[in-house]
Amino acid sequence: MSLIADRPAPGPPRPWSFPKFDRREIAGGRVLTCHLPGKPLAVIDLVADAGAVTEPTGKEGVAEIVVRALSEGAGSYDAYGFAVAGERLGATWRSQTDWDSLRCGFEVPVADLVGAAELLAAAVREPHLDEPSLLRVRDERVDEIRLDQSQPGPRASAAFAAAVWAAGCRYAVPDGGTADSVSDLTPDDVRAFHAARLRPGAVTLIVVGDLDTVDVDAAARAVFAGWAGGEAASTTPAPPTTTADGGRVIVVDRPGSVQSMLYAGHDAPNRRTPDYVPMTTMALVLGGMFNSRLNYRLREDKGYSYGAFGSFDTRRDAGVFTARSAVQTEVTAPALADAVAEIRTMHESGATETELEQARSYRAGVFPINFAGPGAVASGLAELVVHGLADDHYDRLRQDVLDVELDAVNAAAAQRLRPDDLVAVVVGDASAVADELRATGLGPVEVLTDED
Amino acid sequence: MLAVVPVLPDYPFTLHTLDNGLRVVISEDHLAPVAAVNVWYDVGSRHETPGRTGFAHLFEHLMFQGSTHVGRNDHFGFISAAGGTLNGTTWCDRTNYYETVPAHHLETALWLEADRMGGLLDALDQQNLDNQREVVKNEKRQTRDNQPYGSWLDLVHRHAWPEGHPYQHSTIGSMADLDAASLEDARGFYSTWYGPDNAVLSIVGDVDTDATIAAVRRYFGGIPAKGSYPPSPPSEVPPRIGQEIRQTVPDRVPVPRVFVAYRCPPFGSPEFDALELAAIVLGGGRGCRLYKSLVLDRGLLQAPDGDVTSTWPFVAGATVFLADLPAREGADVAELEAAYHEIVDGLAGGVSEAEMERARAVHTSMWLHHLATVDGRADTFSQFTTLFDDPGLVNTLLPRQLAVTGDDVAAAAREFLRPDNRVVLVFEPAAEGEEAA
Repeated sequence: MSLIADRPAPGPPRPWSFPKFDRREIAGGRVLTCHLPGKPLAVIDLVADAGAVTEPTGKEGVAEIVVRALSEGAGSYDAYGFAVAGERLGATWRSQTDWDSLRCGFEVPVADLVGAAELLAAAVREPHLDEPSLLRVRDERVDEIRLDQSQPGPRASAAFAAAVWAAGCRYAVPDGGTADSVSDLTPDDVRAFHAARLRPGAVTLIVVGDLDTVDVDAAARAVFAGWAGGEAASTTPAPPTTTADGGRVIVVDRPGSVQSMLYAGHDAPNRRTPDYVPMTTMALVLGGMFNSRLNYRLREDKGYSYGAFGSFDTRRDAGVFTARSAVQTEVTAPALADAVAEIRTMHESGATETELEQARSYRAGVFPINFAGPGAVASGLAELVVHGLADDHYDRLRQDVLDVELDAVNAAAAQRLRPDDLVAVVVGDASAVADELRATGLGPVEVLTDED
Repeated sequence: MLAVVPVLPDYPFTLHTLDNGLRVVISEDHLAPVAAVNVWYDVGSRHETPGRTGFAHLFEHLMFQGSTHVGRNDHFGFISAAGGTLNGTTWCDRTNYYETVPAHHLETALWLEADRMGGLLDALDQQNLDNQREVVKNEKRQTRDNQPYGSWLDLVHRHAWPEGHPYQHSTIGSMADLDAASLEDARGFYSTWYGPDNAVLSIVGDVDTDATIAAVRRYFGGIPAKGSYPPSPPSEVPPRIGQEIRQTVPDRVPVPRVFVAYRCPPFGSPEFDALELAAIVLGGGRGCRLYKSLVLDRGLLQAPDGDVTSTWPFVAGATVFLADLPAREGADVAELEAAYHEIVDGLAGGVSEAEMERARAVHTSMWLHHLATVDGRADTFSQFTTLFDDPGLVNTLLPRQLAVTGDDVAAAAREFLRPDNRVVLVFEPAAEGEEAA
């Protein structure tokens, strides 16, 4: 047997930068185009300023209903006809809503990109939004939310949001709404949101792929030409407010659970925070890599869990920090205590230079892997649109990551992690875990049951 | 509507065999400065011995715990610090390990894979085994035992293959067997199955073929061949189950959900190709028959994206065609199941050319999407070299499958999607106090 003993030195780094793209105006519409040679599939996406935060109060979840309804009959197609027309092109419909955007479009073989653009135009500009379809989409969505909430992860996420954000703040309710909020939506609610938010002045078309042989102008004209409607009304959501009483534990009773789903966290800065790079790099050390402190402690050291994570979710108006893990029921209290201890240690003592170097080199190095194809690049471009970021954002971000220093990272740990304000949510068998959680001293323990 | 002429994959590659039997596939792709490294070992849960279910997967975890020159957790550490991503997975037919790295770190990945291929036993100890046993038990809890409907996969394995068949248990195994696994089992498993002549290494990305094969020889060439491996466990089965097997499962779930599994010829057979297309005609995308009938027209089924049916790419004896049917709230589950069977039965009556064109276009795009990344392509080269000794299937499988006709689909449906060849699992919300088995 002969194995090479020494780890090889890396070769010279090869240059990489975020793919070049153009911002254009075509037929009065905003268009971002990016030529990625050699890829047989392209992506055409429309990004609208129509995320959950733009929903009227009491209409939580309407954005997701709108984006689903777009493909349920549009132009000359009924729902089935629309599906078949796209699929015969090999086009895969992609749609999503999140806090800050609504997105829809296709992944499609390059040769059929203009055909896909025509379908996308019909969906966005001429959806039927007929009552039977809207009621079906709404009711299917309610079923889906109930199915989703029967799983521990989504249940914990929803309970955590309700515990951290004040009632009435949009962030207190999941971005896709709740079964109750969606049940109450009417066809007119859906039509009104569509009319108010999906306007030519409030959307951006993103086209990414091997565009050498593609008539991008024709694709963009199909979407924008003759589309009247101007801008969407600007929305000024109320500033997010928290319940401002951290240091507590909420047990969501899920009888018979063999694991407890843990969420522990608090509110955090928004995407534009000046310490975005040090804050999120610190979070990599805490819970964003396999060898992060949380995963090391809960998985590799204690064997409590299949994995543990911690990260910031930075939205346009505010953000959240969460640490998350599914742990064996029997170790619920010690696992939560360990997770909180890791957060406190990071807050008090910060990261080491060795840890920071690993996080830095991981985060900077992984850019070309994360932006490997048209779908990922289109998502990256959509982030620029949603957050108003500069064209050279990703190249600057990568450099900022390489340059970030330990002092800044540890200042972010001290300021952005607030161990005394943590709200912990535990979805699990209350009869097995509540008493031990009370003994941890992590704060008052409240037990919620399905009837609450 | 114009007929669509698909763009077929045409990826270059070279196949090399080292003196120790390691097969190596290298495929250059210079579009981005990244490289994917992927190792398939020809061992999976179907090679496990009775009383040791789940062991192949538990062992996969031990492969990340260090080796002769690599400290515990350094495998993750070195690849992360290189700006790379990595993981491993286990399924019935294989165990795979993979890294995607900035291309100038390619040799780091090769060095790590070689060190654990040749030198795992130097680092394997009781503490690592005990820790990863707990991790895996928590993986089982998180992905199965603590999830609604979480037992469906085990039940499909249990019923779709006969007693004692190597696919009759699922990859995650049982808690009792995981508890029983010893350090001796781990050493024996490694000594039996892990060697260069039972592995395929694929490298795809911004690499030079000559320099890469030279590096592969340097890192892997000194690992001795084992020479022989145990024969695969016998896997011959009757082509059909011979009856309907039905089980009702009370569970803590919000709505009823029906799973229907059919035994069918393995991946690699012409019948499997036909059933892959059948899966799209019936239950793939929102232009499929099941979506049209059960979602749009009758409101019985939850399937927002229309994806209802799938085929599993198993090669030993027989595999499974599966339908997953969560009921709409308030829908009658018996009506859902009856309506589903009616649609499936209709397939035997024929498939229109328009349906086949849609199915071919959907299948082509799914396949191109899968091959679009260097890591997806590297895994597929390893898969086809391990299972069929033919890396060229990366380019030739799709044209072969696109030649499937509507008559082929109807014939395969008649032969295999039939009442005397199906497992039906009906999950129902448990009454208060009633618990799942």
